[in-house]
Amino acid sequence: MLNESELTNPSLLSNEIKEDSLLKKVWLEFYKNRIAFIALIVLGIVVLSCLLAPLIAPFGPLDGEITDRLLPLGSTGHILGTDEQGRDMLTRVLYGGRLSLYAGFLPVVISIVIGGALGVIAGYFGRILNTIIMRTLDIFYSFPAILLAIGISAALGQGINNIVISISIIFIPPVARVAESAVKGVREEEFIEAAKSSGAQSISIIRYHVIKNIFAKVFVYGTTQISISLVLASGLSFLGLGVSPPTPEWGIMLNNLKGQIFINPLVTIIPGLFIFITALTINLVADGLRDALEINS
Amino acid sequence: MLKFLTHRVLLMIPTLIGVSIIVFLMLQIVPGDPVDSIVPVDASKEVRAQITEQLGLNHPLYIQYVDWLMRSLHGDFGQSIVRQLSVNALLFPALLNTLILALGAGIFAFVISLVIGVYSAYKPKSWLASIGNLIGLTGISIPNFWAALILIGIFSVLFGWLPPIGMKSSVNGGSFADVFYHIIMPAVAAGMTTLGVMTRMVRSAVFDLLHQDFVQTLQAKGLKPFRILLHVLKNATPNLLTVAGLQLGYLIGGSVLVETVFAWPGIGQLIYQSVSQRDYPIIQAGVLIVSVIFILLNLIVDLLHSIIDPRVRGS
Repeated sequence: MLNESELTNPSLLSNEIKEDSLLKKVWLEFYKNRIAFIALIVLGIVVLSCLLAPLIAPFGPLDGEITDRLLPLGSTGHILGTDEQGRDMLTRVLYGGRLSLYAGFLPVVISIVIGGALGVIAGYFGRILNTIIMRTLDIFYSFPAILLAIGISAALGQGINNIVISISIIFIPPVARVAESAVKGVREEEFIEAAKSSGAQSISIIRYHVIKNIFAKVFVYGTTQISISLVLASGLSFLGLGVSPPTPEWGIMLNNLKGQIFINPLVTIIPGLFIFITALTINLVADGLRDALEINS
Repeated sequence: MLKFLTHRVLLMIPTLIGVSIIVFLMLQIVPGDPVDSIVPVDASKEVRAQITEQLGLNHPLYIQYVDWLMRSLHGDFGQSIVRQLSVNALLFPALLNTLILALGAGIFAFVISLVIGVYSAYKPKSWLASIGNLIGLTGISIPNFWAALILIGIFSVLFGWLPPIGMKSSVNGGSFADVFYHIIMPAVAAGMTTLGVMTRMVRSAVFDLLHQDFVQTLQAKGLKPFRILLHVLKNATPNLLTVAGLQLGYLIGGSVLVETVFAWPGIGQLIYQSVSQRDYPIIQAGVLIVSVIFILLNLIVDLLHSIIDPRVRGS
């Protein structure tokens, strides 16, 4: 027979609840957060429609009639108007989003893998290895991030993958820092001690105990980086470091259209509006996720 | 204090060396032979060899690095490849213009974020606090080059109040009022991110402090709210100063995009043009100089921090 204090004691409860239910609890908490949930839906719609662009876009991304150039919003057949070469804006925004989202998400994934690995190695093994890795990464904090990204991108040359590389490089140090401090916290825990004394090797301790315990922290940090990456990538592309015309991408579209702002300001700002909405919803989702995880930890 | 200063300055040296190595290596990854960008396509082998010799490209990498570092330390950043000018002649006037813009953006962002942040910490349910929330969220989500275009669309195209490009009028320009008139939109656009970050920072810092014991004590003593606010702000200053210093650094390095949109003759625009013209000495020197300023700024912030809060000197 359990008394009341035992029933509400979280340490007793957590023994019975398996790990996959943490995900469920976080989801329930997230679901209760109306704003974050709506943001997730909007983000989902944007991402899905970009991915499905070839199926749902009304025109081809490169098809344009020069006689139809710079039609205003709400023109027949062109809901979002047309660009400076008479191409349908809706079509190009949908196709353009695929590259922009690619350059927004991929650097975060790459930096979590590489930065996370460096952070785990530095934090787990400590001492000289820690000093070498962390002090080297510290140097990157001495650059304003945007400038370093521009410099690396410029050196590598034009191309969306070079943008991805340059943003990954500037994201690795902060991810490593987050991972390293999280590992330091975990390293002194008793279960690590227990694993060590039962003869487990470092590699399997890292695999089964350390990574599992720091993943949430690194993941939440990563989600907050996505919007920064998206804005940064479209900024580099805006500078002409990404795809070359006529390939659509939000940043370069905005740059090509900026000269038309005196003629058709509303159509001009559309690509930027999509960058903004996507970044905003990502931030809202990331905030909601962080709150939901905090409540559950 | 002197000990703290020496310690910090000594710590800066490895950082500076690391930064210079990264900036140097950055241009080593440029595909192709740098000689190609200088000599004509049909240049003879002898001319190519001569240029290679002149640039020191026949030496091993570490010698090239030391050479370059020594020249940079003497303030000689070489020649622009595209324009027939020394890098210095292009870089330093532009740097001044960027500092002016960063300062304008910083003042805009710091003042507004302080007012809204403090107010919304005091009254988290007020409408101004909701606006503060919105500003915080918008600031960190909005691409500043897009914000720049929207500002132009509203204030130049729609109302015709503010000039869409440049730093001064072509006729009789350059007075303080004239520059101020030109800086409003670029400063707001460039300061947008900082405004968002700082508003969130100020709000949470002041909010946390308001719920500490010493505030209750002050209230119990019967101090006027304004006096209590002064105490709270004094305690919040070190943290806010650190963030503000970092943000000012980001503004100097991060205004490339805004400068490009507004044709502001700063270092960002210069670097942008150099990127498209593949004028690498300018990119290299530009990134190096801004990074050094960034490091110095951090040092100054640390020093101010230690003056306001002597406890950090020990750590």
